[in-house]
Amino acid sequence: MAMIPLHRVNVLTGIKSARLIEDASQYANFILKAKRPLLVLGPLLSEWSLDGKLAIEYALEIAENANIPICATATVKGKMVELGTKPDSVYDAVEIVNHLKDPEWQGVRKEGNHDLVIFFGIRSDMEEQCLSVLKHFAYKHLKTMTLDKYYFPHANYSLPNFRKDEQWKGFLEELIANLTKEG
Amino acid sequence: MEVVKKLTKKEEEIRKLIRAEVPWEPVGPTPMPEIPDLRSWDMRLLKTYKPWYAPFCDLCCLCTYGKCDLSQGRRGACGLDIATQQARIILLACLMGCSAHAAHGGHILEHLIEKHGADKKIDMGTYIELEAPNIRTVVGLKPETLGDLKTVIEYVYKEITHLLDSTHFGQEGSYLDYESKALHASMLDHVGMEVADIAQIVGFNFPTSVADTPLVDMGWSSVDESKPVILLVGHNPATSTTVIDYLRENNLYDRVEVAGICCTALETTRYSDRAKIVGPLSRQLFYVKTGIADVIMTDEQCIRTDMPIEADKVDSRVIACLDKAMYGLEDATDWDTEEIVKQMVEDKKHFAILDPEKAAEVAVKVAVKIAPQRKKEWISDEEAIELAKKCTNCGVCEQVCPNLINIGDGITELAKGNFDLMKQQFNQCIGCGKCDQECPLNVPIFKIMQVAASKETWKIRAGRGAVMDTEIRNVGAPITLGTIPGVLAFVGCSNYPDIDDVADMVYEFAKRKYIVTLTGCAAMVAGMKKFEDGKTVYELFPPDFDAGGVVNIGSCVSNAHISGAAIKIANIFAALPLRGNYEVMADYVLNRVGACGIAWGAMSQKAASIGTGFNRLGVPVILGPHSSKYRRLFLSRNEEDDWSVMDARKREIVDTGEPSPEHLAYVAETKEKAMVMIPKLCIRKNDTPQGRSIKLNHYISLYKKYMGGGLPEDIQLFVRRDADIPLVYKKELRAYLQQIGWQPKEPVGLPTLIGTYPSKVPLDAVIH
Repeated sequence: MAMIPLHRVNVLTGIKSARLIEDASQYANFILKAKRPLLVLGPLLSEWSLDGKLAIEYALEIAENANIPICATATVKGKMVELGTKPDSVYDAVEIVNHLKDPEWQGVRKEGNHDLVIFFGIRSDMEEQCLSVLKHFAYKHLKTMTLDKYYFPHANYSLPNFRKDEQWKGFLEELIANLTKEG
Repeated sequence: MEVVKKLTKKEEEIRKLIRAEVPWEPVGPTPMPEIPDLRSWDMRLLKTYKPWYAPFCDLCCLCTYGKCDLSQGRRGACGLDIATQQARIILLACLMGCSAHAAHGGHILEHLIEKHGADKKIDMGTYIELEAPNIRTVVGLKPETLGDLKTVIEYVYKEITHLLDSTHFGQEGSYLDYESKALHASMLDHVGMEVADIAQIVGFNFPTSVADTPLVDMGWSSVDESKPVILLVGHNPATSTTVIDYLRENNLYDRVEVAGICCTALETTRYSDRAKIVGPLSRQLFYVKTGIADVIMTDEQCIRTDMPIEADKVDSRVIACLDKAMYGLEDATDWDTEEIVKQMVEDKKHFAILDPEKAAEVAVKVAVKIAPQRKKEWISDEEAIELAKKCTNCGVCEQVCPNLINIGDGITELAKGNFDLMKQQFNQCIGCGKCDQECPLNVPIFKIMQVAASKETWKIRAGRGAVMDTEIRNVGAPITLGTIPGVLAFVGCSNYPDIDDVADMVYEFAKRKYIVTLTGCAAMVAGMKKFEDGKTVYELFPPDFDAGGVVNIGSCVSNAHISGAAIKIANIFAALPLRGNYEVMADYVLNRVGACGIAWGAMSQKAASIGTGFNRLGVPVILGPHSSKYRRLFLSRNEEDDWSVMDARKREIVDTGEPSPEHLAYVAETKEKAMVMIPKLCIRKNDTPQGRSIKLNHYISLYKKYMGGGLPEDIQLFVRRDADIPLVYKKELRAYLQQIGWQPKEPVGLPTLIGTYPSKVPLDAVIH
């Protein structure tokens, strides 16, 4: 049976839905195999907390361990500065997606467009729409992945709807550990 | 050799309709434009502001060849691809919006012609001579009577038919052409809205040529529940004004409360400052469910489609007053009034009554009779806590919430006696009622939320209609020079995603001396927050169309006065002829009028066409995050796109490299990011150094406030010369520019897109 996203506004009407992945090592493999991954971080990361640790801190660890450039959307840059780091680029979600759909774009490090785009922390209806843009208009040159605790049908790879935050936290910690080990 | 073009029969007919022989201005190249006439302008816009499509769905389901999978480069059975399908859906949405307003205009016009005659003169007051800037620009007609407005609305109807035709199976195959058609439909929307509001102003004697309209009460506590209550919902004031007339004529106005929701509420307060505004669209279901309304009168647009069902639950009575929404009710228009009253009172029946006078009389009589028996009241805190205890926080309510609110947490906290989270969630609630419907334990969430609803009342200024010509004369120069940093239009629906957002943005930019205009539900929610001294933005800031003013223009159809104000700047201040001269007006607005629309809560098709109409006129629009579900934006890619303009003084094309305005239709994720984007989207190539420096000052200071300090990543693109640098950031910005090797460039003397693309408009037409 097809996975239903947590928020019903994101229910897929169509054919091709995301591959659901619960194994953090599989996610780590996808990330490590990518030549030019990109982490797109949204403002909810400053609101979500897992046992007192902000979700943005997990995101920064993932970026650091796998040397993934960060695109900070909305006001995420402010939070990153507060945490003592800087993003590689600052665009709003719709703007970075607009660049990503062009295969000739040179990416945030000017080394060529990205081949794996990891979304994390954008309001789920908007994140799903951004994923839809790339699913339909960038499917030839990149794949998408999400780290939020919900299922996103328009992504290529998505986490399930985690019923408990502990499961999500466990996944993120394992992912970080796998990236550290491999890196 | 001069080429004299022979007029076609169609052109002769147009010239006759617009009375071309009356020489108030020469007739421009596109009077009563049809689909292809402004296509070149659209294509030029779309070259820089390319459509960004986020399909809601992989499929096309519009004909029985389908469903067709359009994903991954596939085409449907008719040959259509996914981008073109999105553009087609957008055109359909814009046509729905355009026809809603045009039909509203057409209906109100019929009603008022019946009442006053077709020869009723259009008089917009002492300070408004340019009474219909959209109509004059698009149609080429200077309307003098209500009858002239009929000519205009018939033109709009005709174009809607042609546009809708193009969405049929097997027609348009280009997404760009569909977008051009959507832009056309949406331009026509502004014409239809202008017809509607001019007719209302003239026919109902709404305020005009005045800024200081009365402050009126808003909030459900403003309604005196001890009296019979008539609730008006929708957009069309034919009914509400007739109810007030009836109450006045029968000396009942002190005994009956007239309250409204959505734009009808705004319209009613333009007619009587004693009418009450319950609130925006999002408060509709809440209020109906309280049962306080004895009689609910619906008209059109943005009304609950389950109104009779909800009314039945609380013993309210419904009168459907317009043919757009008759709910399957019996049409009692030709019945004896007393018989309708009897059946509504005794048999608790609802009816459709399409004659406003009869509907008004019935509503008052029924409300007076049933109000004493009304046993409805707000739920108590203790009752709410008991009801909330049933909730197991299973999460189903969150799953179905369009605003993604975790309502279960709010309810379980409330069950413990903590109301704070629920109060916060009530402010975010868009009032759809899906949570109530889906709760597996039938927890009455909406009823419980009543205890979280603020019992405050607020002050909102009644809608004032068109911006006065005299105001345009005063602000034309500072706007186009940039010393008034921008004209903002907060438009569109409701409190999506949070009720405080619009008020906070209005406050911020009025303080910064932007001109802030508002319409519709956005105008209401702006007044639903109190700042210093317990005052709303309408009490804190002057009502003038001037720097630092907060101006409630009116209802949804009053949006035409905002686009009209932009056109007035080009015509009155810059003295450019507007008659049948849309391209010149739009080009002027795009390049020289620092205006920006903010449709923060936009969710309806009408909001889609209002926004897209602003886009064709060269006004960028910022949308809230949920509006990514409109599935189309117009975005540039900053320095990678074509920012060439013609310098009309030098008659040469200049590559400015300056992305101003950067986007035409853009979604911001948060209110804070929108506030950083607003000053940027008000930048225009025409800014003087002083004006640019003021605009950059706001851009940088808001960036620093919300983005963690530093300078905007793209700031160098907007600094032309050292004189553009704001004084307060001189040291920091100069150092940064030196570091990145920035080079100064000459500002363009008279920037225009005319001359950069194929157009019937000669370059001389933009030189004033």
